[in-house]
Formats: sequence, structure tokens, C-alpha cells
Amino acid sequence: MKFKNHLIVLLTIIFGFWLDHYFNQFTIRYFLELNFGFLIFSYWVFAMPEKIHSLAAVLYGLAVDLFFSNAIGFNMLFFVATSYIIHLYVFRFRIFSYFQLSVFFSGSSTFYIACKYLLLSPNNYSYLVLILSFVVNAILWVGLYQIMRAFRRRIFYN
Amino acid sequence: MARSTPTYTPIRNYAIALILSVIFLYADISNQTFAPLRGIVSASTLYVQIISRSITENIRFTFASFKQNKYLLQENKKLRDQILQIGSKDFVEKKDNENKVQITDFQDTLSNIFKPNDINVYKIASIDLRNYFCCSSHKIFLHNPNKINIEENFSVFAGTSYVGQTKKTYMNFIEVILLSDREHVLPIKSDFFYCDARGKGKPMLISCKLNYQNDDLKNKIGDIVFTSGFGGIFLKDIEIGTISEIVSITSNEIEVVITLKTNPLEENFYGIISKDINEI
Repeated sequence: MKFKNHLIVLLTIIFGFWLDHYFNQFTIRYFLELNFGFLIFSYWVFAMPEKIHSLAAVLYGLAVDLFFSNAIGFNMLFFVATSYIIHLYVFRFRIFSYFQLSVFFSGSSTFYIACKYLLLSPNNYSYLVLILSFVVNAILWVGLYQIMRAFRRRIFYN
Repeated sequence: MARSTPTYTPIRNYAIALILSVIFLYADISNQTFAPLRGIVSASTLYVQIISRSITENIRFTFASFKQNKYLLQENKKLRDQILQIGSKDFVEKKDNENKVQITDFQDTLSNIFKPNDINVYKIASIDLRNYFCCSSHKIFLHNPNKINIEENFSVFAGTSYVGQTKKTYMNFIEVILLSDREHVLPIKSDFFYCDARGKGKPMLISCKLNYQNDDLKNKIGDIVFTSGFGGIFLKDIEIGTISEIVSITSNEIEVVITLKTNPLEENFYGIISKDINEI
């Protein structure tokens, strides 16, 4: 994949994290943490597994860590791990229904949120946040999937 | 028949990337290895925000001048800023006067401490609201356009009480760790205890653990808590907040939760006493 395309992918991921950064300051009061950034990254690996490998995952993670995280290495770690799991099962995912995909990706993002709280902010760890975030991120995934697919087709196939 | 779909996923690269990430994460969490890097990135981001904000304001002012309101708007903004600055300085001067009456032996020391040049007032540049509402890290950045040299661990006040202490300076910004940050420890006292209160990682809350029974302290909710002055960073006898909750941990241990007096979200100007003070 060309550098320009990597830059586009990275910008969409950063945009997702920026959305999280902006909205979560309001939603967290209602025990809800959105996770657009992580879902967008997952989408790109899911949609183009042959183009996004370990190096890209590390570099995207590093960029996100620099701008949005409280600890360098956190997003790197999760991006690499997620990328590896998606690569392993990518063809199985292709025969999954939307519901199954939603559950898987929302589950991954909830695991990401849980680890973030456990590692970086254990005092604020809350099961209510995890449950609500799981449900809402599962719903969001469907919309995000449609939008990102349309975007990918427009950008990469034109 | 194949049991799994054929994919090409070289484990070696992923393993190296995973180990590298873990090393980075461990180094940063345990030793804050990349804190300066993050600080510089945050400061650069703030620059971009401030520049874009000033461009927006200029555009707004241009439109306002068309309506012949520009002068009034500027004057209004200037006066508002001055009132807030005076309010912040007034708090320290009041405390200075009180201390001069109470501790006459230390009058010289106090007057040295509170020379007007030692108190600088800074405007807030940014507060990380997402972390403030959800997580352990509670920090703000103050705008330091004149690049005044501010060292680590100077006390920071706003409104009528302390809000935190300086941590580091990045470019034209001063990083301030708030009292409610999980890493911040503040020596406090009330009429029945002394303790080192740690931030709870929740807005405006700090807490400390004491060896008391809950039943002994039921009527202490609402009591005022002051700084004890230990540690030499914060002046003693400054009202910090009130006891809002007492939670039993074991039969002989309780956690006293204190709600802070000053809400950082309501303050625009923060004062830094830019001189080391010893216990007084």
C-alpha cells in the first residue's frame, strides 16, 4: 500500500479517536464510553488484511498514543494484538453475519476499555461502563461499518 | 478437508511488535519514560489550537468592527480578565494579612514569601476533560507567554483555594497536576486527624485512610479540612474542602473522602507562588 493510503487510514483512525476524545467527556457521565477510534482501526484491518500488517499496526498505535493516550505503548499493544487476531480469522469473519461481527468487534473494544481502566485508571473501573459501552458500540459498529465501507470504496477504488 | 482457512500471518513480526509495545508500556507506566515526549506533543497541539482560536477570534472581531462594537468588546474582555486576575491575587494577599497578624514572629518571612513579584497569574490553556471526568490523570496546562521560569512543585491556586502544583514546563505552557489526580498527595488536617490525602482520580475528590471506626466519625461529615503545611509546598491553614463521605474499609480502618473547595472547571486564572516556601 502506498504511503498516501496509509496516511488516509491513519487520519481516519485519528479522527475516530478525536471523536472519542470529544464525545466521551459528555457520555462518561452516563457511564458510556464510545470507542470509534478502535472500531475504525479494526475495520481497516478487517477490510484490508493484506495491506495492514504488524508494522502498520505498531506505527498507527504509536501515533495514537502520542496524541491521545496517557501511556505510550498502550494502543500499540492493542492494535498489534487486534491486528493479529483479525488476520488469523479474517476469512471466517467474512462469513459472519452483521450481528456476529458486531458482537465480536464490540467485545474487542470493550476488552480494550476494560484494560485501559485496569492499567491506567483502576479507581474508575466500572462494570456498568463496560456493559453499556458494549451495547452501544455494537450498535455503532453497524453504522460505522457501512460508512467506512462506502468511504473505502470511494477512496481506494476511484 | 481443511479445518481452518488459509491465511498468511507471520507470527515473528507480531511477536516482535508485541514485545516492543509491552516494553514501551511498562517503561512509561512505571518510570514515566515518555512523559517529556507526550508533554511536547500536548504543548504543540495546544499551540495549534491557540493559533486556530486566535484566527477565529480575529475573524469574529473583524465582523464585530463592522458593527462598530470592536472597541467595546475588547474593553469588556480586558476588564473581565482584570477582575478575574485581581480576584485570584486577592486570595493570597488576604491570607498574607491573616498570617501576619497570627504569626508575628514570621512577619519577615511571610512578607518575603508574598512579594508581588513572586505571585504570577496565568490563564488556562487547556484541561483534558475526558480524563478529568473518567480517569486517574487530572492535569491542566497554563499559558505562559512570557516564558517565566517555573520550577517543579510550586503550589497553584485558583479562586479561594489551592488546586494543584506545577509539574513541568513545555514550550510556553506549564503543566499542572491537580489535587484530584491519582498521583497527587496533599498533607491535610482537620480537628481530629492529620493525613496525606491522595487524589481519587474523580473530579474534585481526594481521600485518605485513617485508623478509626466509622461509628466514631458519623457526625464529622461536612467538617472543613485545611492544608497542614507539611511537605513545604502548600501553606498551612488554607481551607481545601469539606468531608463529604466516610467509608469503612475494615472494622478499624476508614476512608475519608473530601470534596475540594475550588472547581478547576470554573476558573480561568491560576496563580503560582513562584518561590519555594518552607513550613510556616
